[in-house]
Amino acid sequence: MLFLENIKLALNSIRSNKMRSFLTMLGIIIGISSVIAITSIGDSAKATVSKEFESFGKNNVMIYPNWRENPDMIIGPNAAFSQEDIDALSVRFEKELAYIDPYLSIQSETTVGRVKGNWSIQGVAGSFDEFKKMNIIHGRMISNSDLKGKRDYIVIEKKGAEIFFNTENPVGRIMNLNVNGNMREFVIVGVYAEEKSLFSGLMSTSAYTAYSPYTSIQGGLEINASMLNIYIGDGYNIKQTSDAMVNYLEKIKGTEKGFYISDSVESQQGTVDQILGTLSLAIGAIAGISLVVGGIGIMNIMLVSVTERTREIGIRKALGARTKDILIQFLIESMIISAIGGVIGTALGSGIAVIGMSIAGAELVISPLVVLFAVLFSAMVGMFFGIYPARKAAKLDPIEALRYE
Amino acid sequence: MSKEIIRLENIYKTYKNGTINVEALKDINLTIKEGEFVAIMGVSGSGKSTLMNILGCLDRPTGGNYYIEGVDVSEKTDDQLSQVRNKNVGFIFQSFNLIPRTTALKNVELPMVYAKIPKEERQRRAMELLNGVGLGDRYHHMPNELSGGQNQRVAIARALTNKPPIILADEPTGNLDSKSSIEIMEIFRKLNKEDKNTVIIVTHEHDIAKYTDRIITFFDGEITSDKENENMKQEAL
Repeated sequence: MLFLENIKLALNSIRSNKMRSFLTMLGIIIGISSVIAITSIGDSAKATVSKEFESFGKNNVMIYPNWRENPDMIIGPNAAFSQEDIDALSVRFEKELAYIDPYLSIQSETTVGRVKGNWSIQGVAGSFDEFKKMNIIHGRMISNSDLKGKRDYIVIEKKGAEIFFNTENPVGRIMNLNVNGNMREFVIVGVYAEEKSLFSGLMSTSAYTAYSPYTSIQGGLEINASMLNIYIGDGYNIKQTSDAMVNYLEKIKGTEKGFYISDSVESQQGTVDQILGTLSLAIGAIAGISLVVGGIGIMNIMLVSVTERTREIGIRKALGARTKDILIQFLIESMIISAIGGVIGTALGSGIAVIGMSIAGAELVISPLVVLFAVLFSAMVGMFFGIYPARKAAKLDPIEALRYE
Repeated sequence: MSKEIIRLENIYKTYKNGTINVEALKDINLTIKEGEFVAIMGVSGSGKSTLMNILGCLDRPTGGNYYIEGVDVSEKTDDQLSQVRNKNVGFIFQSFNLIPRTTALKNVELPMVYAKIPKEERQRRAMELLNGVGLGDRYHHMPNELSGGQNQRVAIARALTNKPPIILADEPTGNLDSKSSIEIMEIFRKLNKEDKNTVIIVTHEHDIAKYTDRIITFFDGEITSDKENENMKQEAL
């Protein structure tokens, strides 16, 4: 029998039992929509997190004493990082090391005119903006000569600029900062705009952020840092290079092996990706179970339909339908029910993902592959669970089927 | 001499009912020629329905051979029998057996769908046949919107679609009032006399059988009489 004829027949049969067909589809709709919603939300979360990590710079590595395994460890003056260590590391890893600072920061209360507020200033080396994506809108970023000259320069965030100086561009103006108990005048050399990010909400404090040369905000005459903030040059293996740096530091600091550890954005992202991936796979699998339940629903209704239409099957056989014709007729019917359910489910699932992601404020990622897979899979569910009822219909004896009341 | 359409040779049909064998047909030998108008009569349980199922290729005999236009169909597979039914037999049932929620036109088209006839041709022929049974204005009516007589006329149109050599009617007037019964029998007579179709009617009513030219009577799985219809002859005279 012609394929198109079968599709028309199936649609007619679905139409003549609207409520029942809808309820049958519901299982598939719920299954597919939850799979689509979960995988889309998972993919979107992954993409968002990966964008966040990229804003730090994927080649960012932190080196610090291993507090994780030894939380009670006492960091003696010898274990802390000094300028000599930074210099030694810069010489030893001249090519691999693109950027290094001792991750210093200070908090300072500042008054400009009648505005008073807290600032959090991070100490950086020159060309920090080349590594951490930064949007400098006025002036410039801290340079290496600022660092060497220990200049009291500062680059401030746009929001702070507007509140303290009533202008977006206060370059050249002076801010008084309390650095380890001494009030010093810092010259504003640049303004940057903070990019909106998922973490900015989590990390927000009441303080305005700014950057200065780390040599300017360091405490005493010597740097006494517990952490090194490093960017590894392009083309170098981040894991291998950071391990080599840790080994080198342990050697020059005379500590035992495993005293320092390195933590890279790359490895953190890998961990988070893995957790998100496992999570969405697990929830997706649970949602997949509802697809199987939906399939069983289809089988159940198709069996009822075959029984109800026994006489019709008998008539069709008497008029010349072969076993194959009846089989295909019922198989196409269950596949169409299931595929329609799949399409509705995909739309619904995408809708849920769109709403969910817009509430979370994250970028939506709906993989066309997942959609294609979902629709194909639902048709396959329809076929698989339709085979038994269709075979039952096709094998009916025409005489008995005609006699069926 | 007109050619043989149906030839039954030593046909047996035995049903196993537990340990008991029921012989529904015993050694039936029968020939029906092209253009004959035959009634098969008998009380219920006489074997006439079993014969009807075998003649219509809905069932296979347990013994003997059945030839349609010289081709042995007693050993064919289920799917081959489907095709034999599709091409060679036009069924008309007591309870019409139209597909519900399907228009008269679609019902008439159905055997042509299984014969893989293109849509335009199907529609054209189905309309022609419905016009022929006086239902030219009922193409798009569903079976439940038509009277019993009209339903049976749709069924007759459907039986004729693939121009089968055999038209097989099982108690065609069993569900109809007397007026409709007469109309339906007149259609059969016309199909036989004017269009030269071979028509076999299974019935237990003498009033129906009297329309035919030849009456075969069954009793207990055997043919007890096979004779020309005297009434008809007298009418013809």
